[in-house]
Amino acid sequence: MIIKILGSGCPNCQKLEANAKQAVGNLGLKDIKIEHVYDIVKITEYGIMSTPAIVFGNEVKAAGRIPDVEEIKSWLK
Amino acid sequence: MANKQKISNGVNKEIKFFILLTGLFFLFYFMPMESSFFTGAVLSGLKLLNKYAREHVLTCLLPAFFIAGAISVFIKKDFILRYLGGQAKKYIAYSLASVSGAILAVCSCTILPLFAGIRKRGAGLGPASAFLFSGPAINIAAIFLTMSVLGHEIGLARIISAVLLSILVGLSMQFIFKEKIEKGELFVEESKDIVVSKKTLIIFFGAMIGILVVNGLQIDKTAKYLIMILLALAVAGMAIFKFQKETSKEWLKETWSFTKMLLPVLFIGVFTAGFIMPFLPQSLIERIVGANTISGNLAASIFGAFMYFSTLTEIPISQALIAKGMSQGPALALLLAGPSLSLPNMLVIRKILGNKKTAVYVSLVVFYSTIAGLIFGSLV
Repeated sequence: MIIKILGSGCPNCQKLEANAKQAVGNLGLKDIKIEHVYDIVKITEYGIMSTPAIVFGNEVKAAGRIPDVEEIKSWLK
Repeated sequence: MANKQKISNGVNKEIKFFILLTGLFFLFYFMPMESSFFTGAVLSGLKLLNKYAREHVLTCLLPAFFIAGAISVFIKKDFILRYLGGQAKKYIAYSLASVSGAILAVCSCTILPLFAGIRKRGAGLGPASAFLFSGPAINIAAIFLTMSVLGHEIGLARIISAVLLSILVGLSMQFIFKEKIEKGELFVEESKDIVVSKKTLIIFFGAMIGILVVNGLQIDKTAKYLIMILLALAVAGMAIFKFQKETSKEWLKETWSFTKMLLPVLFIGVFTAGFIMPFLPQSLIERIVGANTISGNLAASIFGAFMYFSTLTEIPISQALIAKGMSQGPALALLLAGPSLSLPNMLVIRKILGNKKTAVYVSLVVFYSTIAGLIFGSLV
């Protein structure tokens, strides 16, 4: 599965990416890729209103806030 | 793959820091300390910082940051976004878009995704454009700082014009381009319910706004500060006793994040404005924007549209220009066109809107700002 972080590069989306990486690392999951989408036009195609956002596969899990490591882990389980 | 990315990001940070240090070194090496003109300018910058610290930070900015923090905690995004959706009645969508910019888009990097969302899957290009303009234009801290630094008339004129302008820009964009909305789902998260009675909220916000209003009144200083302290205690009391601990913590967190975001940049902007003041050619400024003429307002609008102002810095810069001869009308035009547009910002908008729509959007902002300046200039 691919986790996508949507954000144009400001500190909030870096934090979200760091949280996601930590969550995946903590659970030791090997088959998960984390990508970061910076391009504004591509971001808007996901139908979100606010960055940063995190997408699991095709499903938007959160937008406009920074879920913490625990919350991301709970989605991964 | 991921490791290569990590390495290049790390190197990027070091390169940026290196460039910063080198730049600073060259600045310090070449700055002409022998020139009394230069040292005078530095002093002017410091003097302005001193003035701002003494006159505006505690009494105006601090309450404004607390209010902004409270707004982002108590006014739920999803509630507003529902009214900016495709089913919303048009006049609600426009009025809401014109004032909610500051509420919905806290980080400037969120303005564009929000704009795109409202445009394609929400109420359409019109309200989206209104929002795009109003986001940077209607900023609680900016409005109150404008009133505090530049005066109540222009401060009031700024907020009224900004709201009207965003509606006008939005309506014009919709009228000119007649875009249809696409069908699609908007992802809007449900926010947690904050359990506070309406009465408490009204008193809470009222007290905070009261602090700002009382500060502006021309009454005896001791009476003024006494009332302000009492109001501040009322606010604190309500936060401690009437709010859930979570809510108060969230409020303080948001306030701090606003402060972190805006205060450092404001300090830099204030120093810059004070520094450039001796360099500003008074005769040139008086000639171009010294009177409430069409050309003056237009020049101010265009300058504001292309020039980059980070949040709040349009105020000390306008202050410096006014001190050097800029008239009130063009000053308002600058305050309206400045925050929402800048050359770098136009280039990014272009990626979403395309050349034609961006050009029209910019022209509309410049046009309406000029008119607002003309009207205001003729009234004062």
